[in-house]
Amino acid sequence: MTCAEFQKVLPYIIETGGSADQEKHLRECHVCSDLVQDLRYIAEQAKLLVPMEEPSPQVWVGIRASLEREGLVQKPARARGGLLGPQGALLWVTAAAAVVLVIVGITLYQRGPEPPAAAQRAAARPSDNSATDDDPQDKQVLTQVAQARPEMKDVYERNLKQVNASIKDSRKALASDPSDEDARTGLLHAYEQKAMVYDMATRSLR
Amino acid sequence: MTQAKKSTLPSGITEAEAIDRAKRGDAGSFEILYGLHKRRVYSLCLRMTGNTAEAEDLTQEAFLQLYRKIATFRGESAFSTWLHRMAVNVVLMRLRKKGLPEVSLEETLEPQQEDGPKKDFGAPDYALVGSIDRVNLGRAIESLPPGYRIIFVLHDIEGYEHNEIAEMLGCSIGNSKSQLHKARMKLRDLLKTSRAEKAIKR
Repeated sequence: MTCAEFQKVLPYIIETGGSADQEKHLRECHVCSDLVQDLRYIAEQAKLLVPMEEPSPQVWVGIRASLEREGLVQKPARARGGLLGPQGALLWVTAAAAVVLVIVGITLYQRGPEPPAAAQRAAARPSDNSATDDDPQDKQVLTQVAQARPEMKDVYERNLKQVNASIKDSRKALASDPSDEDARTGLLHAYEQKAMVYDMATRSLR
Repeated sequence: MTQAKKSTLPSGITEAEAIDRAKRGDAGSFEILYGLHKRRVYSLCLRMTGNTAEAEDLTQEAFLQLYRKIATFRGESAFSTWLHRMAVNVVLMRLRKKGLPEVSLEETLEPQQEDGPKKDFGAPDYALVGSIDRVNLGRAIESLPPGYRIIFVLHDIEGYEHNEIAEMLGCSIGNSKSQLHKARMKLRDLLKTSRAEKAIKR
């Protein structure tokens, strides 16, 4: 039996085994035995491939919206313990924003030529980009609103864009002149407004 | 066949309980089931289509079909098996609609393959055994032609038998075996090339 003859039937015998002649060729031919070994090894490794990829959060948003439209789900009940589920997540986000606000508020009003390092770090959170694309907290809020109150998503997105723009402008002003009291006040007010937006979003889910 | 998992999930309920609640329209339970199975379904869709946007769309469709039909799940097979089969059907239906070749059924071997194995004169051709890392394997699978990729994913990754694949794709068992062989041969070439390139770079 030649290698060509063996390999012609290989697709049909690789899993079940071949005739006596075919098996003999496999034992005696290192080219074909290496080939079979490689092909079986590829198949074995493929079985071990773990699903690594994850769909974007938008997939669940779309599923959820369709399920509600089709009447396949009821409105969600309040999450157990108040700290789990969509409302719970927003409570954490709002609490985190409030903590950031307190840190910024306390440090901003400390007199000094430059904002303390803590204030700079705190001011770095949340993102000051005018779009909400880079702020995971903003994204989380908007995702939750989109799920529960899709008609309000645009409103909250606009509000967050405006307040983020204010934060960005105030930070820019402070960076160029750390003693600018108006910029400090503006920044504090902007964070207050952002916390209010989060708070309103939380209330709208109830 | 195993039934829905009985181990308790972080949410405090078992998968079987989540299924029961989902049948009654509980949104939270739907979300739990989605969280449990999204990766596997999405990976399947991505591997079969090679396109992330398409895969996300198909994942969404597969889960929507699941939720529409969940009341019919009786537990005779594993829930994951049932869902998985549904996802495969969703992908195949989409491919049929698009007219993409599910399988290049009439594709013939390239001439050089018909002449027998390639023999590398001079350079030793070391076996692949022990040298494949799964990242490279994943990349190689992505670069397979669609027809080969679908058969390979269904058989070697997802574990369907040739008779099942033949039924799903409307081809013969012989064709399924032949296409799988071609897919594996192609992967072998890709992986050896990749290994050789890495060796040169060192």
